[in-house]
Amino acid sequence: MSFLSKVEKVLSARELLYTLLLVAVIAPILSPIGLPIGISSRTRDVYNYIENNLKPGCHVYVEVYYEVAARGELEPALMALTKQFFDKGCKIVYGSLISTGPIVFSLMLAGAPDIFAGKEYGKDYVFLGYISGGESAAASLAKSIKGTVKVDNYGNPLETLPLMKEVDSATDFDLVVIVSSGTDTFNYYVRQWYTPYHTPLLFAALSVIAPSIEPFVGAKQAIGMIVGQRGAAEYELLVGRKGLGIASMDAQSISHLLIIVFIVLGNVVYWGMRVTSRGGGRK
Amino acid sequence: MISWEVLGAWLGAALVVWIYSFVYRDNVFYKFAEHLFVGVAAGYSISLALDSLNRVAIKPLSTNPAVSWHYVIAIILGLLMFMKYSKKYYWLARYGVGVNIAVGTALALRTTPMANIVRQITATILPLWTPDPVTTLNNWLLVLITLGGLTYFLFTIFPKKPEAGKPSLPYYVYRVLYTIGIYGMMVGFGALFANTIMTRVGFLISIYLQYLQPNAWASITAALLAAIAIIAGIVMGRSRK
Amino acid sequence: MVVRRVLPQFIVSLVIILMLIFYFFYINDDVAKTFSADDKALSDWAVIISSFALIVGGVDIFRFHLTQLRRGGLKQAPFSVVTLIAELTMVVFGAYGLALSYLNPALGITITTQPQFRWLYTYVYAPSDSAMYSILVFYIASASYRAFRVRNPMALLLLIVAIIVMLGNTSLGALIWPGFLPLRDWIMTIPNTAAFRPITIGAGLGVIILGLRMLVWREVSWMGRRE
Repeated sequence: MSFLSKVEKVLSARELLYTLLLVAVIAPILSPIGLPIGISSRTRDVYNYIENNLKPGCHVYVEVYYEVAARGELEPALMALTKQFFDKGCKIVYGSLISTGPIVFSLMLAGAPDIFAGKEYGKDYVFLGYISGGESAAASLAKSIKGTVKVDNYGNPLETLPLMKEVDSATDFDLVVIVSSGTDTFNYYVRQWYTPYHTPLLFAALSVIAPSIEPFVGAKQAIGMIVGQRGAAEYELLVGRKGLGIASMDAQSISHLLIIVFIVLGNVVYWGMRVTSRGGGRK
Repeated sequence: MISWEVLGAWLGAALVVWIYSFVYRDNVFYKFAEHLFVGVAAGYSISLALDSLNRVAIKPLSTNPAVSWHYVIAIILGLLMFMKYSKKYYWLARYGVGVNIAVGTALALRTTPMANIVRQITATILPLWTPDPVTTLNNWLLVLITLGGLTYFLFTIFPKKPEAGKPSLPYYVYRVLYTIGIYGMMVGFGALFANTIMTRVGFLISIYLQYLQPNAWASITAALLAAIAIIAGIVMGRSRK
Repeated sequence: MVVRRVLPQFIVSLVIILMLIFYFFYINDDVAKTFSADDKALSDWAVIISSFALIVGGVDIFRFHLTQLRRGGLKQAPFSVVTLIAELTMVVFGAYGLALSYLNPALGITITTQPQFRWLYTYVYAPSDSAMYSILVFYIASASYRAFRVRNPMALLLLIVAIIVMLGNTSLGALIWPGFLPLRDWIMTIPNTAAFRPITIGAGLGVIILGLRMLVWREVSWMGRRE
C-alpha cells in the first residue's frame, strides 16, 4: 500500500473527521480566541436604513418563521433587530406562518429579558401566534390582520390591544422583517406584501438559503438581508448587545478551517493518486 | 426535590445525545428518541392546527356570526378532507383540497409574473458602458450570466449543430452563452455550498451551547447509555451471526 | 363521474378565475370593495381548510403507527407505542388548553400556554428537532472530503468560490486577508445573484404554467386516486 493510499485510508475514517469537528466546535467555546469580527457593508446598510428611515412610533411587522433547529442562526438576528426597533421607539407585531413559531417566540422572549424589559405587551408589541395556510394566510394578513385572526397567541381579543388599534393592513407598516428558515416564506411576502402594497421588506435568512433569494434583494424587492449567524454577529456588534452570534464566531472559524483543510487534503490525495497510478488514467 | 424544569433540561440533553448517537450507529436509544420526536411533533402539529382554526374561524363565528357565517362552508370543506379515509366517499375530500389549492394557485398566479419575472428582467436591464469600470464589469457580469443561465434552461427550442457543414452564428452565440451560464451557476453553487457549511455548523454550535453545555452530566450519562446500547447491539449482532 | 371529477375541477377553475378578476379588474369603488371582501373571504377559507389538512396529516401518522403496532412485530411495536402515546398526550394537553380558554378565560390559558403542553414542546420537541436537523453537519463534512474533488475546470471554479465564501463568512478569513469579506459580498451580490436570477425566473414560469394547467383541467394529480 502506497503512502498516499495510507493517508487516504486515515482521512476517510469518518470517526476522525467527526471527532475533529466536535473538538473544533467545543474547544473555541470553552476557551474563546476572540477573533475580531469585521462588519460587512451589506449588514451596515441594513442597520443604517433602519436608523435613518424608522422614526419613533413607527410600526414593524416581524414574521417569525423558523424551525427550533434554526434558532442558533436566526434568533440572534431577531433579538438584535428587536433591540434596535425598541431603541428607536418602534412598535412590533410578531406573527408566524409556521407551527413552530410559538415555540421559538417563547424561547426568544425567555432569552432576551433585557430587550423586553420596560416594554408592555399589547402596547409595544403583540404576538399573533401561528396562522396556518402559508401564502393564503400571508395574503389575508396583508389585507387585514384583525379580519383574519380575532385573538392573539395568548387568547386576548385583538381589538382590546392598543397596538392593534394603530395597525391592520400591510400599508400600515413601515417595515416588514421576515426571519425565516424557508425559501418559500420570502416568496410569499414578496408576492403578497411587497408586490401589491410596496411595503418595504427586510430579509433575515439562514445562510444556506441566502444565495437563492439574492435576486429579490438585487431587484430591490427587499431593502437588504442579514445572512445567518455571521450577519447576526455583525448586527449584535452594531446594536451593542453580545449574544449567541458573537459567541459562535470562533467555533465557526475553526470548524470552517477544518473543513477547508479536509477539502484541500482530499484533492491533494486524489490528484497524487491519480498522477502516480499506472498510466495516470481516470479512476 | 428536582423541579420539572431541571428534569426537562436533562431529558432534552439526553434526547440530543441519543439522536447524535445515530451518527456512529443505529441503536435502541436513537430509535426511542426518534419515535418520541415523531409522536410529539405530530401531536404538536394537530394542536397548533386546532389553535389556528380556533382563532381564525371558531372565535369569529362565536362572537360575530352575522359577518363570519361563510366560515361554516370552509369548515365543512375542511371536514370533507377526512372522507379520504372512506373507500366509498373518498372523492368528497377533493372539494376541500380543490378550493385550497385553487386559492393558493390564484394567489401565486396573479403576482408571480411581476415578482419573479418582470422585476427580475428589469433588474437585469443595465447600462453596459459607465464611467466607473467596476460598475461596468459588474453590469456585464450580471447581464451575461443571467442570459447564460436562461440559455442553459432552454430545453425545447435551441440552435443545434448541423450534421454537415459549418454551424450557424446563432449556434455559436448559444454555445458561448450556455457556457457562461454553466460557469455562472458554478459560482452560485459554490456560494451555496459555503453557506450550507455555515448553517450546519451553526446548528451544531447552538445545540452544544443551548442543550449540552448547561446539562453536562445529563449529556455524559445519556452518552454512556447510548454507548452501552451500541456495544450491546454489536455483540448481539455478532452472536446471531 | 360529474360529482367525483368534473365538479371539483370546475370549482378549481371557477375559484382561480374569480380571484384573478377580483385582483385585476376595477369597475368602480363599490365593486372594488366587494371584490376585495370576497377575495379576502376566499383566502380565509384556504387558511381554515389548511388547518384541517394539518390535522389529517397528524391522523395519517397515527394510523400508520397503529398499523405498525399490528404488523410491525416485536421489533417495531414498542417504538410505535412511544409515538402513539406521545402524539395522544400532546393532543390531549392541547385540547385541554383549548377547553380552558373557553371554560375559564380568566386563567389566560390557551393551547400554546397550557403548562404541560409547553413543557413537552420546550423539553422534548425543541431539543429533538434541533438535534435531528443539526446531525447533517457530520454528513456534509464527510461529503466535503469525499466528494469535493476537482475533476474539471467547473469543479475548480466551484471549489475556489466555496473556499473564498467560507473564509469570508468567518472571522478567521479577515486575519488571513482582509479582502475576503468584501470579495464574499461581491460574489453574493453580482455573480451569485445573476446565477440564481434565471432560476427565480424559471420558478416563476413554473408557477404560471402549473396555474394554467390547473385552470384548463390538465393538472389532476391533486385529486389523488383515479377511478
